[in-house]
Amino acid sequence: MSTPSQQAQSGARDSVVGWQVALGVALLIGWEIAGRAGAARWVSEPSKIAVKLWIWLGGPLYVHLAATVTELVTGFAIGASLGALAGMMLGRSPVAAAVLRPVIVGLYSVPLVALAPLFIMFFGLGYLPKIVLVGIVTFFLLFFNTFSGAQRIDEDLVHSMEIMGAGRWEIFRKLVAPGCAVWIAGGIKTALPYALVATVTGELLATRAGLGLLLSQAAEQFDMTSIYAVLLLLMVIGLLLSEAANRIEQRVLRWRQAAE
Amino acid sequence: MDQIAPAPSQSRKRDDPAKIRLVGAGKTFQVRGTELEALKPVDLGVGGEEFVALVGPSGCGKSTILNLVAGLLAPSAGQVLYDGEPVTGPNRRVGYLTQKDTLLPWRSTADNIRISLELKCRATPRAEATDRVAQMMELVGLRGFEHHYPAELSGGMRKRAALARTLIYEPETLLMDEPFGALDAQLKLLMLDQLQRLTRHRRMTVLFVTHDLGEAITLADRIVVVSARPGRIRAVHEVRLPRPRDVFTIRFSEDFARQHERLWDELKDDIIKGTDV
Amino acid sequence: MAEQAGSVASLAFPGSRSGETPLARALTTPQGRIGARILLVAILLLAWEFAPVGKGTGFWLSKPSLVAGTIWQWILDGTLRVHLQATLAVMAEGYVTGCLAGIGIGIVLGLVPRLHRVVSPFLAGFYAMPKIALAPLFIILLGVGDLSKVALVAITVFFLVVTNTIEGVRDVDRDLVRSLTLMGATRVEVIRKVVVRSALPWIFTGMRIAVRYAFTNTLLAELIAANRGLGFLIEFNSGNFNITGAYAGIAVLVLCSVLLTELLSRLEARVSRWRG
Repeated sequence: MSTPSQQAQSGARDSVVGWQVALGVALLIGWEIAGRAGAARWVSEPSKIAVKLWIWLGGPLYVHLAATVTELVTGFAIGASLGALAGMMLGRSPVAAAVLRPVIVGLYSVPLVALAPLFIMFFGLGYLPKIVLVGIVTFFLLFFNTFSGAQRIDEDLVHSMEIMGAGRWEIFRKLVAPGCAVWIAGGIKTALPYALVATVTGELLATRAGLGLLLSQAAEQFDMTSIYAVLLLLMVIGLLLSEAANRIEQRVLRWRQAAE
Repeated sequence: MDQIAPAPSQSRKRDDPAKIRLVGAGKTFQVRGTELEALKPVDLGVGGEEFVALVGPSGCGKSTILNLVAGLLAPSAGQVLYDGEPVTGPNRRVGYLTQKDTLLPWRSTADNIRISLELKCRATPRAEATDRVAQMMELVGLRGFEHHYPAELSGGMRKRAALARTLIYEPETLLMDEPFGALDAQLKLLMLDQLQRLTRHRRMTVLFVTHDLGEAITLADRIVVVSARPGRIRAVHEVRLPRPRDVFTIRFSEDFARQHERLWDELKDDIIKGTDV
Repeated sequence: MAEQAGSVASLAFPGSRSGETPLARALTTPQGRIGARILLVAILLLAWEFAPVGKGTGFWLSKPSLVAGTIWQWILDGTLRVHLQATLAVMAEGYVTGCLAGIGIGIVLGLVPRLHRVVSPFLAGFYAMPKIALAPLFIILLGVGDLSKVALVAITVFFLVVTNTIEGVRDVDRDLVRSLTLMGATRVEVIRKVVVRSALPWIFTGMRIAVRYAFTNTLLAELIAANRGLGFLIEFNSGNFNITGAYAGIAVLVLCSVLLTELLSRLEARVSRWRG
């Protein structure tokens, strides 16, 4: 059953979608015309990009995609879990909190992605420098977020658990960890785009495989079609990551949404 | 009148040594460099299975007494004994229902009530835990709200959920800090009735903070009157009403009225003084 | 007012019992905390300086004294000034361009919700793309000079500011707009006096976040292609396996970030006072 107003709403939504499609098509056509009119050496053409993607998806892309995804996922998984763990443990220690606070505030603003050249110097051209870079960037973002989350856990809740007879580990598992979940999810949301930036930066600087390598090779050969094709792929990966982050956040926040 | 109050004459086990004993226990806080005396050294004994109500104006240190017994605060003077042993850390033999309901916001009501049964110290088989949770939810009138999160409950419902969470593991001693303040009159009576039934049936010792004289008289064996800050014990009254008491009608009895009047005389100066603080 | 003692109690608890170690007690005073921090940093630096290293690891570790010497050298011979200036110039130009474009387009999109809805998936797509990947493209389109880096920074800043501006404009009190319109204000007047004014806090938030992104992206752009700038300094020294130089560059980077954060929080304190 849909009320008239809902129908009107869905009608409006349909027309928005219509406009979106129209705009997208118009952009593509304009782009294509511009390319064929002679600007192709700058903007390429959508049709060529599509063909390029089609060829890549037939095989040559996968080794690069695999490299990028492996670096991203491995680095992120290691960095995020260590960061969250360290944040929860140090966040519950008053001594650590007192000493670390200014260090954390200071380090938070340091663009750690800029350490990429250092890791390439240390670890060479394989997966490792990128994994370390992604890991470190992720670690700190997760650590900062989780640390402040752990500090905000209500002491009264801790006391009530203690009186109930909960041990340290039980308080950690039943109170601190779920209490930090919101903050961890927030950290993941911030860190995922950063992790992608770190991966791509590392690959642009020096690598043997990956989307970044495709990109820098294409740039060296002034192959605009490939450049745009890689950008499109990275956009899709970025969207997938942000969608994943939203899903995680929604799951964790179920109890909060219930209240609203 | 600051003295060790003798165990009441009609105490169910009169030669039991006091379950809870405060010996010259006082508490002074450091608040931004200045000292704030919350509780003057007091002496107080609570016998096993006794129901003691602490009444007095707000901010008189009643909650401090509970925090001392619960081991959440260390006394800055004197000693707090539980079963003859000094309390040196969170007291795991009491159930503490604080003024603020300490429900975990990410757990549903039923899961909140269940939590103590999940702990290693009283691990309970799943099926049994589920049964007991259902009984408890029924008891506090929360049936149908099992899957609601605390934020979806009203203040009174949260209070009842917190009560159920404390009662479910049947602590031998119950510390309660104005547990029914937020409830409407009708519900409050129902809860008082349940509380009396449960604590007597399970032979619990209860230390109960309230500012509602009627509540105190209805439930308590003894009423300790605490004066405004810095808190000190002003008087101890025995409530000579037979048990079991009918919480719904007792307030209309003559005995009740007499007790109420006596207590009110005792308290009114402090209450008046307390309100304009 | 209910039982103030209770709330004081929960405040007083942590120091009073659980962390009754001398260390914890020392850390409750500001002097103790600062002392502990200095001690920690000193221990780390000393450990680094006098770390027992073999021939191989010594090369990778360098020493704090060497790093400090390098930075001092850079200060003396003007290297530092040249590179910092380059970084700051790119960052500032990109930042200002991005903010102006973001605020302008954000106000338009905020005022025309239908238009915003139509373009929002396109915005979301670009927002999610790692902007640094645009660097090679911009280098081809705009040359290896500052312009390509400015464009990269500007586009990053743009996306942050535009999102916040749209939110801010949409958050404007409709009743206020209506009442001003009834008073006879023209559309432009309403936009200037109400819409922009009440969107300002949002815009400022976006601009504040964008500073850090501008800094990061300037550095990344310099890592990828530049012949001056702080990012270049780090990349150049790493590329030549000059470990001490790389560490010195990173030390300067950390100092700059901390200074930037400090500056921002001061500025923010002032702005928020003005905002009331």
